[in-house]
Amino acid sequence: MAEIKVEDLHKEFGIGEDRVVALENVNLDVKGHVFVSIVGPSGCGKSTLLNILSGIETPSSGKVTITQDNRDAEPGYVFQAARLLPWRTVMDNLLFVQHDRSEESRQRCQRYLDMVQLGDKIDKYPGELSGGMQQRVGIARAFSIEPDVLFMDEPFSHLDAITARALRRELHEMWRQTKKTVLFVTHDVGEAVELSNRIVVFAKGGKLKDDVQIDLPFPRDPSDDEVAVAKAQVLRKFEELDLIAS
Amino acid sequence: MATPVGSAPMQGSRLRRAFTSPVTARILFPFAVIAVWYLIYYTIDSRIFPTPVEVLEFMWEEITLTSGVRYSSVATNLYGQFGISILRLTAGFLIATTIGTLLGLAMGLWKSVDAFFHDWVMAILAMPALVWALALSIIFGFGHTAPVLTVILAGVPFVIVNVREGVRNTPKELIDMAKSFEVPQEKITRHVLLPSLMPFFFAGMRYAYSIGWKGLVIAEVFGSQVGMGWTIKFWYDAHRAKGVIGYALFFIIFAVTLEKVVFDPLARRTFKWRPALNAYQLAEGDFGAVSQEGFLLEEDEIDQDIEVTGMEGRSHDG
Repeated sequence: MAEIKVEDLHKEFGIGEDRVVALENVNLDVKGHVFVSIVGPSGCGKSTLLNILSGIETPSSGKVTITQDNRDAEPGYVFQAARLLPWRTVMDNLLFVQHDRSEESRQRCQRYLDMVQLGDKIDKYPGELSGGMQQRVGIARAFSIEPDVLFMDEPFSHLDAITARALRRELHEMWRQTKKTVLFVTHDVGEAVELSNRIVVFAKGGKLKDDVQIDLPFPRDPSDDEVAVAKAQVLRKFEELDLIAS
Repeated sequence: MATPVGSAPMQGSRLRRAFTSPVTARILFPFAVIAVWYLIYYTIDSRIFPTPVEVLEFMWEEITLTSGVRYSSVATNLYGQFGISILRLTAGFLIATTIGTLLGLAMGLWKSVDAFFHDWVMAILAMPALVWALALSIIFGFGHTAPVLTVILAGVPFVIVNVREGVRNTPKELIDMAKSFEVPQEKITRHVLLPSLMPFFFAGMRYAYSIGWKGLVIAEVFGSQVGMGWTIKFWYDAHRAKGVIGYALFFIIFAVTLEKVVFDPLARRTFKWRPALNAYQLAEGDFGAVSQEGFLLEEDEIDQDIEVTGMEGRSHDG
């Protein structure tokens, strides 16, 4: 079972008067086959947390551990933009992050490309695909290394509403089938309510403000009454925490 | 009468469009040149200025070795002179490309290396090739050394500057992506850094080649007894403009052919991934953002104003 453990995490940028606190003493524990969303306003440190978890940035103090049955877990990432190598074909983009280029790796990549319905586009270059298709390749790439945990940083925020909705569904189906632990950063409360078992709320200045369980059955339709009610409740929490005013 | 918006173009304008099309314009250019040439011919002393036909005749005689001119003991005809110049140019060009690439990479990757060389690269860049040609001819005499060195010194700063810019323009998002997937550094260099460098490398190579040629001709005029530059000087001393123009044309033909036969296909192969606007993007009205070098800019590169000041690196907290 995968576990993400964040203990007393503190991160600040700059020195002196330019000092900005991005994360302030954050504690978080995520375990097992769950889909956890991190929501909060702009500049609340959501992405910084993800960057620290992915090793791109180092914490100022505190520590994060990502384990799978007491060993280091292998993480996969989906970014805001697809971040594909434009000079590589779709298949080669997936193979780029594999440990080897064996036939087995190739078949695995093909399987996940099939899952995102791009099985017939493996020889295309990213520039030949639409924005939605590129993001699908990004998702397939993250799944193709069969990671223990998946980190996603607002992966649908650049897509149009209809494409985003279709991809959300696909992603959720893949999460259900593969039983991964997912940490999903978004500023869209509706998206968080639709996808997550649990929503972690951050406020400006990088403080963890609330931790909400959403116990509704999947798949959730955003137009369902229960989902709408849950969304309203989370939004009300935002207001109580004075997040919107700030 | 109001013109309908968005209707198909009218048939009647087809002839006019054929006349004003870029292709026609391109074909018309040589004719315009010849017209101007004859205009000059008839307005100035025609004993000095040759007609295009005279130049072509001269070139044909040189090609078929029927002119009877023997230039020097080392290279007795067009092919000999040309061969020597091409060898010098190729040697200088290859050395300039190699040194330029290595130095450019180092300067792009390490700030201290950049600081060490920066001013001197700029100084060499500012130095006219003529000065190299003169100085090196005095130092090294009439051998291969001065012309080859001139080619190197004229071309190398262009390779350095371009490669360095290429390294600096490596998309950080892609490097971060590769690192978070724990791709080994050697693989990142090969598959992310080098390919993103290619457009800059090609630009540097093309500059080094054309600037190198100009340097070579000057060096051969002053510091050589063989080669294209020397031959052009030979015809200058003989007061025969057709020789000077004819030999310059030989090289232009060679340069254009090389461009079409070597550089263009090489570039086409290297950049076959470059996106032409594709049907999906057109259909979605998503024209992306393709930078000059043909990279797809990531969307988060475009709204850089969201960067939080005082934070190092990029923050995408939006």
